[in-house]
Amino acid sequence: MAGHGHDAHATDAHDSHGAAGHGHGHDEPVDNSRKQSFLEKLYPPEIVKGLGNTFRHMFNKTFTVDYDGTEPNNPKKHHTPRAGYRGEHYLKKDENGHVKCVACFMCAAACPAECIHIEAEATPADWKDRERYPKRFEIDLLRCIYCGMCEEACPVDAIALSSTYNVVSDTREEKIYDREHLLADGEKYGLSLSHHQYRPDGVPGALPAPKTHGH
Amino acid sequence: MYMPYLLKFIPVLMVFGGLLGVVPLLVLLERKLSAWIQHRDGPSRVGILGPDSPLEIFGIKSGSRRILGGFAQPLADAIKLITKEVFVPAGADRLLFALAPVFALLPPFVAFAVIPVGPDLIFGDTVIKLQVADLNVGILFVLAVASLSAYGLAFGGWASNNKFALLGGVRAMAQMISYEIGLGIVILAIVMQFDTVSLREMVFSQVSIGGKAINGWANGIMGWGMFHQPLAFILFTICAFAENNRLPFDLAECEAELVGGYHTEYNSMHFGMFFQGEYIAMLTMGALIATLFLGGWHYPFYASIAAWSSVVAALLGLASFGFKVFCFIFFSMWVRWTLPRFRWDQLMHIGWQIIVPLALANLLLTAFLNLNV
Repeated sequence: MAGHGHDAHATDAHDSHGAAGHGHGHDEPVDNSRKQSFLEKLYPPEIVKGLGNTFRHMFNKTFTVDYDGTEPNNPKKHHTPRAGYRGEHYLKKDENGHVKCVACFMCAAACPAECIHIEAEATPADWKDRERYPKRFEIDLLRCIYCGMCEEACPVDAIALSSTYNVVSDTREEKIYDREHLLADGEKYGLSLSHHQYRPDGVPGALPAPKTHGH
Repeated sequence: MYMPYLLKFIPVLMVFGGLLGVVPLLVLLERKLSAWIQHRDGPSRVGILGPDSPLEIFGIKSGSRRILGGFAQPLADAIKLITKEVFVPAGADRLLFALAPVFALLPPFVAFAVIPVGPDLIFGDTVIKLQVADLNVGILFVLAVASLSAYGLAFGGWASNNKFALLGGVRAMAQMISYEIGLGIVILAIVMQFDTVSLREMVFSQVSIGGKAINGWANGIMGWGMFHQPLAFILFTICAFAENNRLPFDLAECEAELVGGYHTEYNSMHFGMFFQGEYIAMLTMGALIATLFLGGWHYPFYASIAAWSSVVAALLGLASFGFKVFCFIFFSMWVRWTLPRFRWDQLMHIGWQIIVPLALANLLLTAFLNLNV
């Protein structure tokens, strides 16, 4: 039942490699001159072989990962992206509980999408370690291209990108994160579904999942 | 006084309701099966109970464990198809545009009317035939009505005012007509073999000797059509794939080449009707194959069960018929994800230069072997 009009492919492979000096730097040319056997030209035996192959594949393990996060205690329903995955941004705090950011504007300068907007202010008197801190620190998550340049540019390791990718909101305004939002866990604002994926400093991995928030 | 008409309703409801109700399950089966072949899960989110169940439309929350994930997906598909915007493209022929899905959906339904889906229910004097219409021109009726579905493709292709749709429609029409020739010749041989045109008689001649239904493995199963007409079985199956526009013969609607072929411009329920029509045509072809070659509703030990209770025998007959149709549908979906699509010239070559000669040879052989009967 073969519908192929051509039986054998003539090949010039041997001719093209005849020139002296090429040596054997490449593999042997593919030999397309083998004629199809009679059974192969009749299509049905090949169909049966193909069907057997497909049938075998039906019983293989599937690659689908169920990641929706509705069951935080079910380890089969987690999906942690690769280490170094760049997702939702967050600001870090130092040991004194102050925001680490010194409002040096390095991240805003490095950002290709110009989505970081910072306003600096003098620190209160009791903050001994620095002179400035950000009065306003806003990131527009919709303009961000998630390149991670801000994380690389920051000299005090204040901003980082977590591996949370499931960020949902109803309006565009909700996606403009202000300083408090970036500082807080997403749990407080109830947006991201998979919080277990915040990446602690320097150590890729998963934190224990927080309480669910009504999903 | 109205009893005969009431009794008529039982098979009508069974067939009509059954066909309509099975189509969503077929959609799900197709998606799941194709997914398993490709090492992935099919639809597994929209479950009967659980986080994404359709009960949430009514505000009923049903826990966080997903039960039967994916089984409400056809319902979601149906709702999507019903609620989408319906528009007719500019410059389209409005009457034909509206008629095309009708011609794609109705003929397979009508063709199913003459197929016996189960043995007779005998209650004393009343005999309920599990067949909507016991025409004595059964198989000819099926052929005639199935040819009408080619109009749906033609109208769809032409009325869409779209070059790709026209090309797809023309191809689909040519393909259908070509393979109907082969189908017709194969059916001629079958008619010659079973000495009857009525489908009900065909099932009986497969499963009975001298009018008495046969029991057991040896005689009952060996009477099935596929053992008496193996070449016809293979040819009929190939033509069935071509008639349904299923891979490997789906050049008319292949997504990669023609966007959607003859149903490119259709949306919402118009497309839903094409979609449904395709699945019902698959069911009808499966039912035809089961009737002509797999003994219809027959199963081993039918005669002894029928002697004991006709209701149980009928139910088992329904189940066995359904199983045979399911086998064809499973095979159809299995082949769809195994074989690459035939090129247009390959398709025509197979239809005219391979199937028609083989069918004619089969006809000659059948005629020769049945000379004395």
